[in-house]
Amino acid sequence: MAEQKKTLVVTRFDPDRDQTPTTREYEIPVEADWKVLDALNYIKAQVDPTLSHRWSCRMAVCGSCGMNVNGEPKLTCKQPLSAYGERVEVAPLANFPVIRDLVVEMDGFMERLKQVKPWIIEAKEEAKREGTNRQSHAELMDFKQFSMCINCMLCYAACPVVANEPDYLGPAALALGHRYNQDTRDHGGVERNQILRDDGGVFSCSYANECSEVCPKGVDPAGAIQQAKLNNVLDWAKRFVVPRRKPRAPTAAAQSDEPGRG
Amino acid sequence: MSTLRARLDAMRPSQAGPTRTADPRPPDHFPSRGNYRSYLMFGLGSSLMLLVSANLLRVVKSLGDGERAFDALLESFAHPLYLGFHLLAFVWLSWVALHFFALFPKTQPFRIGPFKRPPDALLVTGLRALFLLSTLLVTALLLGVL
Amino acid sequence: MRALMLKLEPIIWGLFGGGMFVGALLLPAFVLVLGVLAPLGVVTLDTGALFALARHPLGRLVCLVTIALPLWAGAHQLRHIFLDFGGLRYDGFLGALLYLLALLGSALGIVAVWNL
Repeated sequence: MAEQKKTLVVTRFDPDRDQTPTTREYEIPVEADWKVLDALNYIKAQVDPTLSHRWSCRMAVCGSCGMNVNGEPKLTCKQPLSAYGERVEVAPLANFPVIRDLVVEMDGFMERLKQVKPWIIEAKEEAKREGTNRQSHAELMDFKQFSMCINCMLCYAACPVVANEPDYLGPAALALGHRYNQDTRDHGGVERNQILRDDGGVFSCSYANECSEVCPKGVDPAGAIQQAKLNNVLDWAKRFVVPRRKPRAPTAAAQSDEPGRG
Repeated sequence: MSTLRARLDAMRPSQAGPTRTADPRPPDHFPSRGNYRSYLMFGLGSSLMLLVSANLLRVVKSLGDGERAFDALLESFAHPLYLGFHLLAFVWLSWVALHFFALFPKTQPFRIGPFKRPPDALLVTGLRALFLLSTLLVTALLLGVL
Repeated sequence: MRALMLKLEPIIWGLFGGGMFVGALLLPAFVLVLGVLAPLGVVTLDTGALFALARHPLGRLVCLVTIALPLWAGAHQLRHIFLDFGGLRYDGFLGALLYLLALLGSALGIVAVWNL
């Protein structure tokens, strides 16, 4: 069989030298079963060791290798190279500042993720009061799909709102917030809903649905966000019917809810 | 590449990192790529409701003002520009309706009270059938058939 | 203005959702009959019967929701289109203007239905 070749058009950016990103073309021999990441690893190992890109698990679990391939956000370890023609454009994820080549600045994402308090609030207190937290299968299914996120940030690269509203918490973070609100073990719904409906929260979403289209794990952040909107409307309307308890002030106990601290 | 720009502060962390970064690009091919295009057409089509409902307001007002006012208004609707607009609005809004009902099911919780959400395909088909039924019903009512 | 709109967002979104539903179900039929078929002369409308239909309490309600709710849906969608094309700077002004138009239209709708 004749050796197949493809040209990868890869975005390059060196913060010490370049004002703006440029592209460089690499014509390489490819194998039939390669993913896009295999081609990038080949370039790094055999052609140009200065190329920078993130990757780790190679099995769509770690969420490190998200890039825009021919204009669409893809997990490069999952995306077959054979899905493309002779020329394949690989660029860093859209909507993110670029640190170098295909590597984007993730800190903004990590900050947004933390803002929705993605942990079970008052889990320990409840367990002390009432013993083991029991959850039915139906209750688990209310949020299981939304807990499959691997933080690959493809949804952020696809979202038109992220590009235009710098305070927007974004698809993955909002879906994660909704996931914890749906968890029967959690008691932070009131305080989390205040965050979810604040500036940059669920109501900034205009339901382009592209986040769900590009999600490699079938999480459907767009569905989660619309459901969270509905929850917030009902929650808001309830205030006029039922007097509400005040949101809990952050306490030392609440801090210990955060994973890795207690 | 998109011809639009992303805000320079999109997804920036609150504190700058140790190295200079390149500016973020907006989503590639926005809004020309498939799903973005239907999203934009949906948004623009629903925005038409502003004009269509404003015209319906005029119709209802003219009904209150008497038969002559109503006839005069309908006569003005026979202008080719109005006709073209209403024809476009009918086609576009019908598409918006069908698209809206396709997007609708997953905006609902997985469980509604004790009931599980019906399968999406069933819900979409049901809602689209409802759209057809209500369109036929309203048309028949307005024409005095019912 | 943005802060106020943010505070009212649950109501606005509720009106938007209702407007999308009502607009999707009812507006195409209204446009087809009143905007296309009748002006073209394909059908002849019985004004007296229409008047009686619109005056019925249920008819008034349908007229009102078909006027008012889609105005909110249209205003909300147009606001988001402006935002998607970089209109955040003007959102306080444009958003408020659009919602005020919807509010005004709703108020006029109530008057029009009242006067039937």
